[in-house]
Amino acid sequence: MKGMLRLASIAGGLVLWHVLAVWVIDDSVLLVSPLVVVAKGYEMLFVTADLYPHLFASWWIFFYGMILAALVGIPVGFLMALSPLVRDYIAPWMTALYTTPRIAFAPVLLLWFGIDIGSKIAIVFLGCVFPILINSFYGMRVVSREFVEVGRSFRLSGGRLFLKILLPASVPFILAGLRLAVGRGLTGVAIAEWFGATEGLGYLIFFAGQTLNMPILFVGVAVFGVLGVLGFQFLQIIEDLATPWKKELEAK
Amino acid sequence: MAGPVLEIRNLTKEVPTGNQEPFVIFKNISLIVKEGEFVSIVGPSGCGKTTLLRVINGLLSPSSGQIYIDGKEQTGAGKDLVMGFVFQGASLLPWRTSVKNVLLGLEGKKNSGEAEEIARFYLSLVGLSGFEHHYPHQLSGGMQQRVNLARALAVDPRILLMDEPFAALDAQTRTFMQLELLRIWSQTKKTVIFITHMISEAILLSDRVIVFSHRPGRVRSEFAVPLARPRSLDIKSDRRFVELENVVWKQIEEEVRAAREGSPI
Repeated sequence: MKGMLRLASIAGGLVLWHVLAVWVIDDSVLLVSPLVVVAKGYEMLFVTADLYPHLFASWWIFFYGMILAALVGIPVGFLMALSPLVRDYIAPWMTALYTTPRIAFAPVLLLWFGIDIGSKIAIVFLGCVFPILINSFYGMRVVSREFVEVGRSFRLSGGRLFLKILLPASVPFILAGLRLAVGRGLTGVAIAEWFGATEGLGYLIFFAGQTLNMPILFVGVAVFGVLGVLGFQFLQIIEDLATPWKKELEAK
Repeated sequence: MAGPVLEIRNLTKEVPTGNQEPFVIFKNISLIVKEGEFVSIVGPSGCGKTTLLRVINGLLSPSSGQIYIDGKEQTGAGKDLVMGFVFQGASLLPWRTSVKNVLLGLEGKKNSGEAEEIARFYLSLVGLSGFEHHYPHQLSGGMQQRVNLARALAVDPRILLMDEPFAALDAQTRTFMQLELLRIWSQTKKTVIFITHMISEAILLSDRVIVFSHRPGRVRSEFAVPLARPRSLDIKSDRRFVELENVVWKQIEEEVRAAREGSPI
């Protein structure tokens, strides 16, 4: 039933898009039918195969940005949760960085890290790191006091308390943070590739927009959308595997 | 004759309240618990009995007074695991199966094969053979408290501290768990301190019932339970059981009234 409803929703949206493009707007400079986009996408994937360089360029920026964000965000989030000192020290900077639009940093990062992949990874990193950090922080902070007391009553040392109680209790929060980061990371990729890129999906969209090439523009947007959904689903599967106890708790 | 397992001398717990007088939770509690004795503490709500148990366990530190286990003074949460703590509820780690929950206190202390054997033994003792690989949410409330008990017993503690372990259970399950605890206790002969609101539960289970006053909690009185073991539910209609229950209830009623100073309950 749920699956049917989703399929119906997607189909309905596509039909509406087609109707708008073909009968209402009827101007291929402004909007093209999803059928044209699919045909173009097929061509770029399987005939000319010129989508792949863009896809891989974007993928590696996204991948490295996410990994770096996780490597920084998770430990810093933990440290902030475990030490009020660290928390109070970092909090103002974190709030400032989090609330400043990332696009404002783009030119500066470009100067610092160069026009190559470095600056682009930095932009993605900036987008991903905060949801991961905040979720890791929050996850470790809300670990039920009772669980911590259980650990203490069994005389677990600090290290064991962390590994056996605090860390497993925060895993669902960390994974939720990673899921949120997927969307922000892809946004980062698009932003990064609008500044001085020569390949990548963001560049493709930017270029297609400049040259009023609607089919290619929509292929770029659609690929971003598919990547987002895939990344989100992938992490959902990881979450279900890593926390088999969580899903049934939610169902209750 | 062996010394007491647990001795508490003049234990007081206060919580500072800024510039006013400190908030006294319990005051000058002294208590001796012998080897293999089952002692219950009853008292009006808020009399500090749960806090006392947490202080004994080292989860909280006392404001003054001493705690000795086998003659050895306990200072804070020491490294030695001499106490098993059974919590009120929802204290099983949801990401661990029954057997892994029971293993919690054994990990790093015994080799894994031995630890697993011990964990399985205690799960079977509490009647949960076959549920080793169930997660807590797959178990009923009564079963969860069995795991909780097995977890505390598995570390082979000198003393078992039970903090209203059956409070969250429905009446039928609760009665059944009381009988199970009688059986398990008769098999393990652990020294137990059991906190409860329920007078009949305290009498049914215990060798001795200690009545706390209203806050700040003090030992108001204590009663030896003059009923032979093994016990069954039949003793609830024994004249001595009913009389003791009445006496204890009258005292608690007085304490509740004194605490409320005439205001309706």
